[in-house]
Order: sequence, then C-alpha cells, then structure tokens
Amino acid sequence: MLQDKAHPLLSVRNLTKSFSGKLVVAGISFDLYPGQVIGLVGENGAGKSTSKNMLCGLLEPTDGQILVNGQTVESNEGHAHGISAVHQELSLFGSLTVAENMCIGALPGSRLRVDWQQMQCIAREQLNFLGMDIDPDAAVFSLGAGQQQIVEIGKALLHADKVLILDEPTTSLTALEREKLFRILDKLKERGMAIIFISHFLEEIYRVCDSYIVLRDGHQVAGGALAGVSRRKLEALMVGRALEESADHGDVSDTGTEALRVEHLDSADCRDISFAVRHGEVVGIAGLMGAGRTEMAEALFGLRPSTGSVHVQGALLTERSVAAMKALDVCYLPEDRRNNGLFLNRPVRENLSAAAISRFIRRRLLKLGFAGERLATQTFSRAMGISIPHIDVKVDALSGGNQQKVLLGRWLASEPKVLILDEPTKGVDIGAKFDIHNRIGEIARAGAAIVVISSDLPELLQVSHRILVMRKGRIVGEFRRDQFDSVKIISLAASTGEEGLAT
Amino acid sequence: MIKALSESVQTRPVAPVLIALFIGFSLFSPYFLTTGNMEALLTANSVVLIASVGMTLVFLLGGIDLSISTVISVSAVVSGLVMAGTGSIWWGAMAAMSVGLSVGLVNGLLIGLLGLTPFITTMATQLIARGVAFVLSKGIAVQGTPYGMLDFGFLTFHGIPAVTLTALLVVAVCMLLLTLTDWGRHVMLIGSNRNAARYSGINVRWVEVSVYSVSGLLGGIAGFISIATLGNAIPGVGDTLLLIIIGAVVLGGTTMEGGEGSIGRTVLGVGLLAVLISGLNLLGIPFYDQLIIQGLLIFLGTWLAMKLSARRH
Repeated sequence: MLQDKAHPLLSVRNLTKSFSGKLVVAGISFDLYPGQVIGLVGENGAGKSTSKNMLCGLLEPTDGQILVNGQTVESNEGHAHGISAVHQELSLFGSLTVAENMCIGALPGSRLRVDWQQMQCIAREQLNFLGMDIDPDAAVFSLGAGQQQIVEIGKALLHADKVLILDEPTTSLTALEREKLFRILDKLKERGMAIIFISHFLEEIYRVCDSYIVLRDGHQVAGGALAGVSRRKLEALMVGRALEESADHGDVSDTGTEALRVEHLDSADCRDISFAVRHGEVVGIAGLMGAGRTEMAEALFGLRPSTGSVHVQGALLTERSVAAMKALDVCYLPEDRRNNGLFLNRPVRENLSAAAISRFIRRRLLKLGFAGERLATQTFSRAMGISIPHIDVKVDALSGGNQQKVLLGRWLASEPKVLILDEPTKGVDIGAKFDIHNRIGEIARAGAAIVVISSDLPELLQVSHRILVMRKGRIVGEFRRDQFDSVKIISLAASTGEEGLAT
Repeated sequence: MIKALSESVQTRPVAPVLIALFIGFSLFSPYFLTTGNMEALLTANSVVLIASVGMTLVFLLGGIDLSISTVISVSAVVSGLVMAGTGSIWWGAMAAMSVGLSVGLVNGLLIGLLGLTPFITTMATQLIARGVAFVLSKGIAVQGTPYGMLDFGFLTFHGIPAVTLTALLVVAVCMLLLTLTDWGRHVMLIGSNRNAARYSGINVRWVEVSVYSVSGLLGGIAGFISIATLGNAIPGVGDTLLLIIIGAVVLGGTTMEGGEGSIGRTVLGVGLLAVLISGLNLLGIPFYDQLIIQGLLIFLGTWLAMKLSARRH
C-alpha cells in the first residue's frame, strides 16, 4: 500500500479550537506525507490533546481545515477518513478478550449474529502483523501494560490505514516493551503509514520521529525536520525560556549521619531488601515496572504486611505505619497520585494541609477550627510554584504538573527529614519536572535523606548520588555517582538471570 | 452581593425551591401558615432531621447506614420499656442512646475493622434491630410512658416545639464537629479518597468506626424523641422513614460518593420534604400521589445538583 510520497496524506490548515471564548489551539498548520512521523511536543496544557482530538474527529474545530488526500473534509469522522488515535488513557474492556476488544467498533457478522470465528481471524492477523505473541482469546486484564498497549494499537490500526496518532504511548511501558513498540512503528512507517507521535520524552521523539511541531500555549511556535535540532533547543522552544542545567548535586560528604536503615525487609513482592541512606544524600532506585520498588516503599510504611527491621535515626521502629513514620519525620510520596495521593473533589487548601494540619492553623479557644489555614496554604502554594486561580479550587481541575506539586507540597509541609519519593515527576511537563528536581536538590542540601524511585533513568542519573538497581523484588546492584553508566544500569535491571550481584 | 447570592444558590440549589414552595403553599392554603400547622410540621419532622444528620455524616464518609431507620424503632422500644419500668425519663434517654450507640458501634467495627461493605452490613443490622424491636414489644406500642415525656412532646418556646429545638441542638453540635475539628476534616478527606487518606497517615479505621457509632447514637436520640412526639414507643416507628431520610440527604445535595456535601444542605433537604408533604396534605392530595411527586422531586434535585456542580468547574 505504498502511496505517492509527493502528496500529503493529511494536511491541516490553521486548525483552531476555543472553548467558551478561550483559545486552546491557535491555528496549527502542517502536512503529513506517507511514511512520515511527526513528533508533537509541548508542555501540559499546550494544546496537544485538543489537536489530537480534532484530528481524530472527537472534537469539532472552531476554525481551519483538515484535508485528507488533498480533499477538504467537511465533518471529520476520523475512522471514515482512515485516521485513528491511541489515547493516553487506555480504552480497553478488561473483562473482554483481546479479539473482542479489537473488533468492538465493528463486530464482524450480521446484525443479529456475531461471527466469532471471523473475529478471531481478524485479531490473529493483526497481532501477527504487529509481531506480537498474544492469545486473541486472553482476557485483556490478564495482559501486562505493554501488551495492552499493543492491543490498543492493533485496534486502532483496524480502523485506520492512513494516519495513526499515538498520545504518550510509552508512559506505562518497560524499556523492552518500548523498544518493541518503536520497532512496530518503524514497520508501519515502511508501509507508508503516517504517524503523529505525542510524547513528553524527547529521547523518544528523537528515536521515532523525522520531523517535529512544537506547541506552546496553543500556538505552533516551531516545526520542521528534526535532524540538526538539538534537544536543548527543543526544550527551550517548549518552555519558552532557556532551562539552565539543573544544579549538579556533586558528591555528598560521607560524613553525614545515617538517617534510614532497612535490614532484610521481606514482603510479598520484595525480598531481603537492605540499604541505608545518609543525611544529605539522594539515593535513586532504578528498575523495571514490577521490580518491586513501590511495593518495597509501601512495606516500609506498613501499607502492606512485611517482616524485617527498619531504623530511623538509629532507632529501631516498633510499629510500621504512615502515622508512626510521620511522627519520625519520614514521608512517602505515592506513585499513583490519583488513586493514592490526591483528594480530587476537595480544594487545594485541604490537600496541602492534609498531612501537617498544625503547621497551617492557629488554634486558640477550645482547640477548634481552622483559622489561618487559607492564608497559610496560599503562601505555601505560592512558594511551591503551584499556579492556581484560588486556593479553594478543586485539585481535580489542575494540570498534572500542578497536581504533583500539590502532593509534593503536602509532604514537604510536614518538614520531613527522610523522604521516599515514588515517581516524583510522572506525567508532569518539563518546566514542572525541572522545578521538582531543583527542590529535591535543595532539601537534600538542607540535610534531608531522600530516596527517589523512578522509571526515568536520566532523571535518576541527574538527581542521585547513588543508584540502587532492583529486579524481581531484590536489590541487584549499586552504583556510586562516579560509576554511573546508563547502559550498565538498564542491562542489570532488565537481565533475566539471578547471577551477577554486582556491588 | 449578587455574586455571593448566586454562589450560595449554586451550593444550595434547594434553598430557592424551598422558599418558593413555602410561599406557594401559604398563598394556596389558608391553613398552611397557621401556628398549629407549623408546630405540627416541626414536631413531625424532628425525628427525621436528627436521623438525616447521621446519614449525612455516613454519606460524607462515602458509606451508607441502612440500619438507622430501625435503630430508631429499637431504641424507642427499649427506652419505652425502661421508662415504663423505672418511671424515669433520664433513664429512658440513656437507654435509647446506649442502644443506638451499640448498634452503630457494631456497624462501625464490622465495616471499619473487618472491611465488610457498608450496604450489606447495615442491611443486616437493620433486620436485626427491626426484629428485636418487635420481639421486645410483642409487636404493640409500649404502654406506660411517663407524663413528663408527653409534656415534653407538647412543650413549645415561642411557638417552636422543644423536640425541634433538641433536634436543632443536635444539628448544631454535629455541624461544629464536622467543620471545626480534625475529625470532621478527616471524614471529608476519607470520603473523597480513602486510599489517599491512608497514605496521608489518617487513622481511617478509627474515623470509620466513630462515624457509624455517631450515626447509631443519632438514631437512638431520634428514637427517644419519637416517643415524645407520638406519645408511645411504637415498634415500627422508624421502619418507613429510611427512604425519606435518604431522600432528604440526597435532595439537599450531599452525594453518596463521599467528600461532598454538608449538614446545612441536609437541613434544607429535610425542610423541603417537610414543607412539601405538609402542603400537599393541606391541598388534599392523596398519599400515593404524594409519593409520585416526592420521587419526581428527588430526580429533579439530583439532576439540578449535578448540573450546578458541573458548571462550577
């Protein structure tokens, strides 16, 4: 199905969208040729998702034109024009099979009878093409996140043969699965498919795309061939200011006293974990999805049952619970901020004060009331760089980056001496990520001991003094700052054998 | 001024409806705005008001307490028997509150500590409480209510029945607890996101146990008050109130999902249903037609609350 490379498959002219008078996308224009991969980059709220939704027919543009094969499309129906999107939030039915999920939009067979066999064939063919060994009869919930993502792509490809739009497709994938996905994209590209790739990770943009478009505040600020454009320049275009290199943490003195010591921690998903963190030190924990890192942290805080001993400031912990840890100035920033972190339908004020209410209020008479909370949280949120219209806005309404800052703020307000930060920059844009990294450096220099769990290896290399690698519930390696080597760390995290317990 | 007004209407969409109904009924029925009718209206709804506050607290926590209706019944019966035996109103009050608190505590322990679902747990205690009420009373109204209790039922201050003042006192105390204490804040946060509350170091179990206990306690107080308003402890007194209680809370705008709503809203919800029922009675609308109107009103109320909360985003 190789098509004419000289004519664009999809052209967009001055595409504009405004919601109740507020301009969200302000006139983007580009041409997409067969076999071309365009990277759509920008911070949260830059208008990427809105653009995507207009292109795949979920939103009606306020102004502008969409041309498919040179023909103006009056009302864009996405699928009907061969355009399909894989959205950031997977839209699969967990209890249905892979085949059912892929064909759900257009079940084969007659109106009254589904042709199950035909459905099987379609799904199998699609999976074979993608080179994935997935059973079409398997229920989707039994698959890993990576395989689910592939099913979602297979589903999208069934409907679209011209343009595929991928919105943050790698956020829940491991390094191996990511590479597999990229190879599939290469294959699609060879077949003449045009792809729009939306991602926060610039290294992925460079791996996958040949051209780029930068959106900032809804405006198309730059675009063109990717070759020769430096990463630094892309970042500066996205943020609208030059990001100086975040302060290098350098070496921590070995003289800091020990803040946290974990010995032989055993839980359902982590085994025999022992490590120690000093005051002023940032320890990164690397590993693949499912390596037991979050489970280890939760076990530390009594959020799941475990055995072993934990010492804080040299004293053995008798009771393991969030409240007990809080009393010792130890805090845990959970990975899943929507499910385990934020009170979404409560105001920012209450979210910020939830873990350290006494810091924000003055109680005099009868020890009642929350006097002063509004003002104190307002001041605090400004210091945290959280941008909100007012302090009583519900957290639900904030962008991912601001939500993360609210959650981080909640724990920083408790003035912790030991922090365990689980994916502290997951789903936040570059500007917010930069701010959070700097803050981690600041509090470490002020003497706190910090453990950062992250799947973003460049982040760990940037902020940590020392990196521990976890695999299958165990700590399998340790790297000091002068030994940092991303290739070694990745291969240690991903290798399957039990051998090679490097130290 | 106008902005503040529109904001308060948005958070309390029931208020303008309540005022409109009140004015409407006053115009259409010459009896509606009489002292007698107002006293009857307030007296008759004091029990529902107290129980609705308990239900509101449970709703805010993200749970439900189906047992509150028959807790009213069983605590009324036990209280009536104690008063008939001892002749003391105080012992009767103590008995009602202890019975309510005990059932609430059982609910709380089963839900908070053992992790049973609120719906099933409180449905079971609802049945048990209902059965006990009938067994203890042999199915008939408990005789021998002290005269002091009857006097309490008829007592008024400036036209406001003493039982209503008692109910309003309960409302005020619960409002203060909910808005001024850490406990109240924790109730809202757990209702909003139970996991996040756990991860923030809030003692979720203790708050859950306490909220169901308070709900039971309020059921007990409501049972005691029912004796004063009806003259006797009646074994089925609370059984039919459950849907009115839930209806009042929901109509007021407290959602079942938790973390959103207030006791003030519930007071308005109770007021709306009270005015509606009283007015429809005076206009001679038959009972079953009233049920249809109540049902439609609850639809309307939920829809309105949803619309308004969507617009605020």
